Amino acid sequence: MVIRVRINGRTFEHDVEPRMLLVHYIRQKARLTGTHIGCDTGNCGACTILVDGKAVKSCMMLAAQADGRELLTIEGLAREDGLHPLQQAFIEKFAIQCGYCTPGMIMSAYALLGSTPVPSEHQIREALEGNLCMCTGYQQIVDAIEAASAAAGAGAGGSHGR
Amino acid sequence: MDVRTPARDADDVLLTREWVGKAVPRREDSRHVQGRARYVDDLDMDTAHVAFVRSPHAHARITRIDTARAEALPGVFAVITGRDIAANTNPVAPRGITAPVVQYVMAVEKVRYVGEPVVAVAAATQYVAEDAAGRVEVEYEALPPVVEIEDAVAANAPLVFEEAGSNVLLHDKFEHGDVEGAFRGADLVVEETFRIPRFSSTPLEPWAMIVRHDPGNDSFAVWSNDQQPGRTAINVARTLRVPIDTIRFIIPDSGGGFGIKLAVWPYIVILCVLARRAARPVRWIQTRSEHLLAGSHTPDALIDAALALKRDGTILAIRVQSKENDGSFVHTAGIYPLIKFAVIVGCYGIRATSFEFRSVATNKAPTVQNRGVGKPAMIFVLERLVDLAARALAIDPVEMRFRNFVPPARMPYTTPTGEVYESGDYPECLRRALALAGYDEWKAKRVELRKAGRYVGIGVATGIEPGTSNLGYYYISRGRPDFLGNVEGAMVGVDFDGGINVLTGSVDSGQGHATTVAQIVADMLAIHPERVSMNTHFDSGMSPFAPHSGTYANRFNDVEVGAVIAATKKLRAKMLRIAAFVLGVHERSLVFHDGTIHVEGDPAKGIPFQEVAAYAYKKALLLPDDIEPGLREIAYYQNRAAKVPRREEFNIQLTHSNAAHVVVAEVDVATGFVTLLKYVIVHDCGRQLNPGIVEGMVIGSTVHGIGASLFEEFVYSPEGQLLTGTFMDYLKPVALTVPRFELGEMESPCPTSPLGTKAVGEGGAITSLPAIANAVEDALAPFGVTVRSLPITPEKTLRALQHSKVI
Repeated sequence: MVIRVRINGRTFEHDVEPRMLLVHYIRQKARLTGTHIGCDTGNCGACTILVDGKAVKSCMMLAAQADGRELLTIEGLAREDGLHPLQQAFIEKFAIQCGYCTPGMIMSAYALLGSTPVPSEHQIREALEGNLCMCTGYQQIVDAIEAASAAAGAGAGGSHGR
Repeated sequence: MDVRTPARDADDVLLTREWVGKAVPRREDSRHVQGRARYVDDLDMDTAHVAFVRSPHAHARITRIDTARAEALPGVFAVITGRDIAANTNPVAPRGITAPVVQYVMAVEKVRYVGEPVVAVAAATQYVAEDAAGRVEVEYEALPPVVEIEDAVAANAPLVFEEAGSNVLLHDKFEHGDVEGAFRGADLVVEETFRIPRFSSTPLEPWAMIVRHDPGNDSFAVWSNDQQPGRTAINVARTLRVPIDTIRFIIPDSGGGFGIKLAVWPYIVILCVLARRAARPVRWIQTRSEHLLAGSHTPDALIDAALALKRDGTILAIRVQSKENDGSFVHTAGIYPLIKFAVIVGCYGIRATSFEFRSVATNKAPTVQNRGVGKPAMIFVLERLVDLAARALAIDPVEMRFRNFVPPARMPYTTPTGEVYESGDYPECLRRALALAGYDEWKAKRVELRKAGRYVGIGVATGIEPGTSNLGYYYISRGRPDFLGNVEGAMVGVDFDGGINVLTGSVDSGQGHATTVAQIVADMLAIHPERVSMNTHFDSGMSPFAPHSGTYANRFNDVEVGAVIAATKKLRAKMLRIAAFVLGVHERSLVFHDGTIHVEGDPAKGIPFQEVAAYAYKKALLLPDDIEPGLREIAYYQNRAAKVPRREEFNIQLTHSNAAHVVVAEVDVATGFVTLLKYVIVHDCGRQLNPGIVEGMVIGSTVHGIGASLFEEFVYSPEGQLLTGTFMDYLKPVALTVPRFELGEMESPCPTSPLGTKAVGEGGAITSLPAIANAVEDALAPFGVTVRSLPITPEKTLRALQHSKVI
């Protein structure tokens, strides 16, 4: 079946099997490999993207379900004038080790800051419940999200790309 | 071993002090935050996809395999079975065990664990490959499984390897010092049996590989997230029966290793055989289900241990008997026991040790060296016994530790088995941790909280974190070492444009090697780290690797840094010679400064790096006869603290960091849930190269220990079926279930590494297990509960509170 999906402002059109997972579509058809796969059961969050402004685990959707929708992946986050405050904060706070959870973490954080621009530490940790990190122990990630929300105020998160 | 002053060495090594020791932001991060990293499955290559048919039985004979229906499916390129593997490869070589066993990288006549690969399929997409795998018919004759240690060692137990004659694949005992005398003369003997669970650090990126075969010269190119290119090259070549140089290994970005990716190589062998048959590149991306089921685990263990003590709390001896459930992979079976010798006495001056161990084969999944490798279990046992002894002797558990610490004045200290603790101040480390935690305030608070019906406990643990394996230690039982010591290689050069580039033999799975190495080289050449580039994507065609090469056993700060320093010293010396020649001055009058080499006090009389490179490469004709063209130097480095192992005296690892953890835990006695209210770590990893990276290692490693202590266990049914096969059941720590950590630091420089650095990757995973267990037991002291096993789950806690008094 033919689907049309907008990802990071660009339109993609492909003929896909009904059973193709959205995360496979993003990685293999749209060739955006920043969204990662870390489990089979929707637990790890490495595949987190935004679909029509909502944080979604793209391994839990079929590509066909994304027909006509607007997706935002990690590749769409950087601004014309540089990195997004979240991306900058992750670097400054040493919130990255192997990097595999990073795109999903940043997308979940982006969704959080869109609805809660100045979250408490508890709110941040709760928002990351669906994002596993095996390297950092989460502390520097939490610090990064706090720093990003402080740095950018209301502009740090959102439901759309730019 | 001569003890060199690290400060003097650092003066020899570093020209400036701008970068080493600073929290320089990681250059690696830019690609990660933009989704531009290149993990294996991101590589843009047209490949077939591989799926496996895996055994549904824990123990069975394979009686029939029919692949016809699978092969007939459109889009299927090749299907191979154990028969193809047996015809084309050698059996897997055992290392630690002594029993004669025969095993191939795929099941041949029988299967020994649920999930063992039986058939491999290569097809156009992963969807077609899995469809095809579903069409393969395999018939089995089920055999009775042995799952738990007690069953495997029982008389008449079914044998996992019939040819071994027993499920005990290794049995040995080592005694050092007068153990019998110590126990005879003890005022008190404290003894307990502990259960360590099966768990894993479960890197977020599972195993992944692409293999391309070139039929023209029967050579292979392999992209994988392997952790040990040296041993993998040797293992794959030997198993596949090809010369090493016919396989090119490339390791791009890797999403976490933790030792789990040391077991990737058997699948590389399978894919090589498959790639030849499929006549096109093949790609296998392990699923999480496969990873949990048939990836590799820390072995579960039953450990009996005892301390012989004087009434004043002095520990005279430790006696340990352990049985490790090594599952069924002969290459890694038996590795865990001997490593425990690196920490068997912990931070204490215990002068007699006895350790008897058995590696037990069962029908559980294979095991591999997972973060800490047996040392978490050993420190758990030791620190738990110290607490139990303190209780029995009515001595404060903190005071017990102070009475037994190896004092700093005795460093370097050799343990009874031969391990050398090169430096460290254990009492000061604990003092700082207690102060940071507000230990005395919490002791008072604990009393108040108990009156209010809240059960809060304080747990203290100290531990040793060894680094760099003296490889070949696992041959102490077999007698013929295949490796000795530990070596790493590095190549440092000046590019044609004057930039500095570095390659090492090792790999990175998140440790920030490129950033850290750039800091060191920058200070060695008096330039900005931005001018130093390091490619951490290993490539056996370029990287100067040794058989020991890889990221495992906490070795970066020792041998990899050592190799980089050695190569940079050679490069620097050559640059000086060229500069001296060009400028017509003596080398002694020259200094390095901001990318030039100039006469001290006369910056105008100088030559920039780019010009030095021009002489070395483009204008080489101008060089004198005794200066060879080129400006790239290789060095191989080893840590000479390694001893050739003898049963009487051996060292397992070559550097020794240490830490103290102080944990405050609350147990909800209605639900059994444990909350960590406070977590303090004071650690000493010698000189820190990048504190931002170090902090992440300490916290991340500790969270692995929290997982093993409170959440994670691979649970099997009596039939050998894994019941915790997804992250729904195999529970990982999340941001909400880990505390905020408070860290303090000390730096006891290492006298045997050029910058005084020691290890910092595994420590948190080692000392956290007993710190948490001690805190829980303290919280439940009013109920008389003893913690003997991990993980401390709510169910086990409630059962203990209601009936058994034992977790």
